[in-house]
Amino acid sequence: MTLRTFLWLVPCLIVWAVLPFVVPRYMADLLVFTGIYTVAGLGIGLLLGHCGIVNLAQATFYGLGAYASAYCTVMMGLPSIAGFLVGAAISMALAYIIGRPILRLTGYFLALGTLALSAIASALFFEWDWLTGGTLGIGGIPKLNLFGFLLDRPSRYYFFVWLVAFACMAVARNLVDSRSGLMLRAMRDSSTAAAALSIDLQALRTKVFVVCALFGSLAGSLFAHHASFVSTQSFTVDRSISFLLIPVIGGATSIPGIVVGALFVTFLPELLSKLGDIHQILFGLALVAVVVLMPEGLVGAFAKLRTRLAKRGSGHG
Amino acid sequence: MAEPLLALREIGHSFGGLSVLRSVTFDVPEGGIVGLIGPNGSGKTTLFNIVTGYITPLAGTITYRGAVLGRDSIQQRGLQGLVRTFQTPQVFEQMTVLENVMVGCTKLTRTTMLQDLLSTPAARGQMREIRDRAEAACERFNLTGLRDLPAASLTAGQRRILEIARAAVGEPRLLLLDEPSSGLNVQEIDDLRDWIVRLSEEGITILLVSHDMGLMTIARTVHTLYFGEIIASGDMAAIQRDPRVREVYLGV
Repeated sequence: MTLRTFLWLVPCLIVWAVLPFVVPRYMADLLVFTGIYTVAGLGIGLLLGHCGIVNLAQATFYGLGAYASAYCTVMMGLPSIAGFLVGAAISMALAYIIGRPILRLTGYFLALGTLALSAIASALFFEWDWLTGGTLGIGGIPKLNLFGFLLDRPSRYYFFVWLVAFACMAVARNLVDSRSGLMLRAMRDSSTAAAALSIDLQALRTKVFVVCALFGSLAGSLFAHHASFVSTQSFTVDRSISFLLIPVIGGATSIPGIVVGALFVTFLPELLSKLGDIHQILFGLALVAVVVLMPEGLVGAFAKLRTRLAKRGSGHG
Repeated sequence: MAEPLLALREIGHSFGGLSVLRSVTFDVPEGGIVGLIGPNGSGKTTLFNIVTGYITPLAGTITYRGAVLGRDSIQQRGLQGLVRTFQTPQVFEQMTVLENVMVGCTKLTRTTMLQDLLSTPAARGQMREIRDRAEAACERFNLTGLRDLPAASLTAGQRRILEIARAAVGEPRLLLLDEPSSGLNVQEIDDLRDWIVRLSEEGITILLVSHDMGLMTIARTVHTLYFGEIIASGDMAAIQRDPRVREVYLGV
């Protein structure tokens, strides 16, 4: 770690640690959601930025994680960890089974395939009310209890969620820097040449899809224990779209970009809602502005600005 | 005579009723450089695509290292040491030159996705090995100065050399080069010729497709393909003397 990153990191960590105690409760709540969305968005970012795959099915895995946690704890009385594990196992198995056939598609067709998955899952969450409670949902999900320390307030849960998010970011970073990451980017740039170098495209895409589903499920379980109540409204196609927005806005190839994207989709609608009915239009306009003006996302645009300023600085000096 | 590394027998193929290859038969002996020439549209690239598994031929058999390459995938053929370059260089545009070469070494090591996610010591060790090999290859192919540039910024000639470096670094047994000298300047072609000869001396067998008659002189045997048929075989001097070749290809 260089001194420069260290000098950056320390103030960031201090702000991060103090934040939940100084902001109003509703903001602490939003910060918890930012952490949850970061986890879900990381998976989408890996697929979009490193494989060139648009995944519109993340709400499915988010829902599976949430329902698994709700069902295991409320209906079966199992400890919370069971919900996390069951959700992850089901999500990964489903991603593998669905991924093998649909990841043969590319581009728009693949995006539509994942959208279909999200639509079907959303309908099933509604129809299978014996399992999910339908629109009535499942309530009374217990708060997490970490070795006797009850995470019952947003300011407490915040730390847990963000530690999970940081761990996921580290895992995603490992993947990007690894041999698999190298092969993923090769495949994204030219699948023809990647095949000639013995890279098994199908297997690799499926594995990343499974990792994406794991992140989605984990985020869903975190959400269930935060909200205490889950119902079908939280896992619709709309939610899949807002998950996709996270890497699109923040910058799909950048891991900090995912946090920026998650902040954008959690905070901006909330802040704009103070302006009255017009807020949805404004959010839409902000989205269009980012996508049109900053095709590499906010983090990409920031990096570009910095190189431009550096160039100008050196030009004058 | 020893068994050839690659043996093509009666290969035939057609696209929508248009016959592009007709009973093409020749051998590529181990350790040699074999050339394939022919005017545009004579079927050279189709033959490459068939050998490397991009196209399944409608007729004929390919034997590689004594075994028939039936339905083996592109990747399986690659793992057996069959590596190709492309007529239009296919570099990984958004990756750096070094990273491009590193991709060529990925098949020499094995890590699982889980090891990579957790960045285990084994995964990091393999990554170091990949990087070391790629750096050595960059040095060898005069790419060290371009190492950290994105491949998208390279000239056509540099892309071709990068593609060859990336193919050569993966320890191929049979390297198939499709028009490796097109787009290169005189100096680059000289370097290319040296590299190909050196790779061949190191034991890599080479199948070379080119229009460049100068480059073809390094091939021990040259086969001339004309409208899907082999019309002449021999060393370059014999090919240049062959009346049919002179008529259909050299235009004299």
